[in-house]
Parts: sequence; structure tokens; C-alpha cells
Amino acid sequence: MLSIQNLEARIDNKNILNGLNLNINPGEVHAIMGPNGSGKSTLANVLSGKNGYETKGLIKFNETDLNDLSTEERAQKGIFLAFQYPLEIPGVNTNIFLRTSLNAVRKAKGEKEIDTLTFLKLIKEKASELGIDEKFLSRQLNVGFSGGEKKKNEILQMKLLQPKLSILDETDSGLDIDALRIVADGVNSYKNKDNAFLIITHYQRLLDYIKPDFIHVLSNGKIAKTGGAELGIELEKTGYANIS
Amino acid sequence: MKQFYDFKVEKIKDLSPEDKNLREEYLDLFYKNGFPNKKEEDWKFTDLNSILSKNFDNITNKDFLLDNKKLNFINEFEHNHIYLLDGKLISSDLTYEDRNKISIIDFNYKNNITIDKNNSLNLLNNALAMGGFTLEVSKNYKLNKPLIIYNYFSKDIKETIINNKNSIILNDNSELTLINYIDNKSKDNFMVNSMENIEIRRDALLKNIFINNSKSAGYFYKYIKSDLEKNSVFENYILSSGLKFNKLDIEINLNQEYAKSTIFSALNLLESEHQEIKTRINHNSQNCQSYQKIKNVLSDQSKGVYQGKIFVKKIAQKTDAYQLSKALILNDDAEFDAKPELEIYADDVKCSHGSTSGSIDLDSLHYLKSRGIPEKEAYKMLISGFLGETLEKLIEENVKFFLLKKLEGQINGN
Repeated sequence: MLSIQNLEARIDNKNILNGLNLNINPGEVHAIMGPNGSGKSTLANVLSGKNGYETKGLIKFNETDLNDLSTEERAQKGIFLAFQYPLEIPGVNTNIFLRTSLNAVRKAKGEKEIDTLTFLKLIKEKASELGIDEKFLSRQLNVGFSGGEKKKNEILQMKLLQPKLSILDETDSGLDIDALRIVADGVNSYKNKDNAFLIITHYQRLLDYIKPDFIHVLSNGKIAKTGGAELGIELEKTGYANIS
Repeated sequence: MKQFYDFKVEKIKDLSPEDKNLREEYLDLFYKNGFPNKKEEDWKFTDLNSILSKNFDNITNKDFLLDNKKLNFINEFEHNHIYLLDGKLISSDLTYEDRNKISIIDFNYKNNITIDKNNSLNLLNNALAMGGFTLEVSKNYKLNKPLIIYNYFSKDIKETIINNKNSIILNDNSELTLINYIDNKSKDNFMVNSMENIEIRRDALLKNIFINNSKSAGYFYKYIKSDLEKNSVFENYILSSGLKFNKLDIEINLNQEYAKSTIFSALNLLESEHQEIKTRINHNSQNCQSYQKIKNVLSDQSKGVYQGKIFVKKIAQKTDAYQLSKALILNDDAEFDAKPELEIYADDVKCSHGSTSGSIDLDSLHYLKSRGIPEKEAYKMLISGFLGETLEKLIEENVKFFLLKKLEGQINGN
């Protein structure tokens, strides 16, 4: 599904990614761990098509070269990034944002746009699965939401848009145990043999709930080590110091 | 400089000799000053004399043109209305109200003279005013529905000035939501110079909304003087995008304690539109509150101006005054000028002001795009969110919905 070959990324004349290789197949859950500044968030940003990075190398998503696609086209083709810091957008109603987003993705896929009533029914159902109070949906997007509410809202968007590849950038940060479980349940219930996940995290604790097939350790902009789920537990004990 | 105006009192029919003399005196005073220019502090960023001289050949005053129109009613929500044609009261309809509780009467020149000799547009208005209304709401009466003032203008209005005077009185504990609605698509230049006197008595609430239906090549100036008594509230919402030129000059006198005023403005200016909001909030008594949030989005060669002054008298302790101006400048040729001023003589007050200008937040844009929303649409969402946020406090859902729809239309350039 996703194939990254020799990816380099620079921002403000600083090399962040230095020849990263990664393959993700449908049905797989990959976790990326690594110390601060190792390039985890840069990888997420580059995959989402954020401006400002100079990149080299190949990123293929289902045979399409991602370098040719704008951010919105990537999203329409099924790449979803759950932001580490979801943005507060004053004046934009959450419901209207969600419907605009869903319809933009549907339209790009050649599907019919969804009408307001059907949408409201759908979103109500998805929100209740994640324990999101309906009232949040009529508020301004993320404005005044707590950290946990913002992260839940990201997972709600994921479940609504039904991406093929979901990238979760430190979705566990700022979550209490209950919220963490709800978010993990949200991910687990969406997981199937046709979609895949790339989970960026500092801690093993999210991986206790969402079991990864592979764990990669990122160091100096490269994958320094790859292992199975047990690698996370090992790292929890030994730290990143021995990996380079 | 060429003379681009020619005003004559004698064009106004049926004046008593006394009125005629008075008007002539005001006109002489106006001619001594001419239209305001940038040398005057209040017109520092809006050189009206120069703007008008570039855009008009010869502005004249006329007697009523009275080219009667069929009103194009707003049908999004039920409302009462007043119909003004060229500033003159034509009819009113208070279908939803107790007729004994509201009076709307025609313009009365003598009752409506305001003297501010430093304001030459006031002088001109006193010389040439020909229409308007006096609206009074009885004690304890709260209108069931909003009242829309439909402002229409005759077809043959090119190079003409209209001067009118209105007066609005809300007696104790009364409530009114007023919508000043300009429905004009003129591509011809004309000018409107209005003066409005507003009295909001104890515990009364006035909401004053400014909106127009479409683009208009008119040059609008409105001077509002308002006086608030104890515990009264005056809310303003300004959405006048699309007018070629507009200056709202609002003076609010918080004369008794616990009076409260708010001004929310949301303008999306395009092409060569030039709009100014000028406010003067006088905290004349203690425990009063004033709040101003002014938002501008500027494209093309447009110009936005905000001059906001908060004046706090020595006796006005426990004043709570807030003023914020935010502008998004989307084009290098667009301009925004802000001049916030605080003049405070009391020592126990909370006053704050801020002014920011910048461009669209790229991280926010990226966030919306990352959800599949095309860039153009994401851009518009951010702009309408930025401006629409000023309507958060408006509790009438149907009116708010209507205004948001209009705002969206303005952003789409309709």
C-alpha cells in the first residue's frame, strides 16, 4: 500500500529525514518510536503533503507517486493524518467542517454527496461510539476543546472518512487512561484487512491497546531497528540509548 | 481643486421662511469647511474630500425622486418593517406587534437637529435633510419579531446626495432588534448622509444590525449618537461588505451605571471598496461595560479603517472596556489602518485593546486540506469562520443564519 524508498526531507536547511525506507501492506499496523527530534512528526507531515519541506526519494501509495499529489488529493485518495496538535479553527462549525470534508472525499471518489439529514444521523452514531457529546459537534472546530476531546475528534474524522492508511501522530499524548482506551477501541474497531495504520508514539502504553505488527525505531532520520510487538516492551526497559 | 458639488436649500420645496434661513446658515457653514479631508483627525485615513472629488463630477441635492419600488422582502424569517425610499419614510408594517406600543412617525426637521459644528457632514445634513423617521417603543414592550428597515433608492440617483435623520427611542425595559438593510444594486455613484439619534432608557435592549443585499456604488456615511441609561444594552453587528464606500461613525454614551455596549464588525472588502468604522465610547458612569471586536478581510485594492476611542471619565470607576481589531490582508495592494485610543481618567478600570493583522494561517489551511477539502474551499471556510465568529453572541438563530448566509455570499463575491 505504502512504499517509501530512500526518503530525505529538509526544512530550514536542516536535514531531518536521511534515507528512510518503509513498506506498509494492507491489514498491517506499524508503529514508529524514537527519541525527540528523530524525525517522527516530519515523516507524518511529509506524508500528508505539508508545504515547507524539501524532499527527495520515492513515496508510492497504491502505485501513485505521492510527490505529484496535493494535500487534499492525498486525503481524497485515502491518506489520513491524525494531528499531534489538532488546530483550533474559530468560526468554523464542527458539523459543517465534517460534512464538507466527507463530501469532498466522496466527490473525489465519484460518490454522491451526502445530504444534511443523513449526515447528521451518521455523525451522531459515530460520535456516540467514541463517547463524544453531540454538543461538541455544534461548537467551533476544536475551539476550547480539551486535549482529549481534540484527539477523539481526530479519531471521529478518521472513522468518518474511512481512509486506507491512517497515520496517528502521538495521538496518545495528553490522553488520560479512559480516553486512551476509547481512542484505541476506535482504532481497533476500524482496523480490517484492507486498511493500514502508522502509529507514531513515544510510549509503549498505546501499543498495549493497539497491537502493532511491526515496530520501527527512528533515529537521526532513518529506521535504525525493526522488530515485532516485543520490541516496544524492550525499549520501555532499555530506552533508545543503545540504538543508533 | 475642482468644485464637485453644488448644493441649494431652495431645491427643497415647501419650507417655512424660518426653516429656510436656518438651513441656509448650516449650508454656509458647510461651504466654509467643505467635505472633511485627511487633515482632520477623524478623517485621517479616509480623505473624503479627495475620494469624492475623484469619483463625482457634480453632486447635487434634489427634491424627492420617489420612483416607487416593489419591496423585495427577506423571507428567511418573519419580521416587521419600515420602508425608506431615498431616506424618506414611505410606509411601515408592524403586523407582529401591539400597535399601541410602538409609534413610527415621519421626519420632523426641528426635532432632529444635532449640532456638532466640527462635523461638516452633520452641518450638511442639517442644511439638506429631507426625510427620516422617529421610532419609539413603549415602556416594558418587547417586540415579538425583528424590525427591518428597507433602504431603497430611486433609479435616477446618479451624482445625487441624500440626507436624512432618524430617531430611535426605547423606553424603560423595552426591547428591539433592528436590521438596517440596504437593497441597492446601483452602478451609478451617489451619496447618502444619515444622522441617527438613539436613546436607550433603563433596562432596555437594542440590537442594531447593518447588512446590504448586494454590491452598490453608493457612498454611505452614517453618524449615530446614542445615549444609554442604567442597565441598558446596545449591541451592534456590522456586515456592510459590498458597499463601494461606507463610514459608520458611532458615538456611544454610557451615561448611567451598568450600561453595556458591544460592536461586532465583520467586513470582507474587495476591489476598491473603502470602509471605515469609527467609534467613540464614552464611559460617563461607573460599572459600565463596552466591548468591540472589529474584523476585516481585505483583498484586491480595498481599504479598511478602524478608529476606536474609549474615553473613561474620572467618575467612571469599575469600567470594563475591551477593544480588538483583527485583519487578514490577502493582497499587497490592500490596506488596513487601525487607530485604537484610550483616554482614561478613572483609576480603577479594566481596559484593554489589541490590533493584529496578518495573512491566512497556513497550518489551519493545511489542516482543512488534509481532510480532503480543496484549497479554494478551505480558504473560504477560514475566511467565513474568521468573520462569522463575530456573530457568536447573536442569539436569534434565524437572523444569525440569514446573516451567515449573506456573509458567505459576500465572500463568494456576490
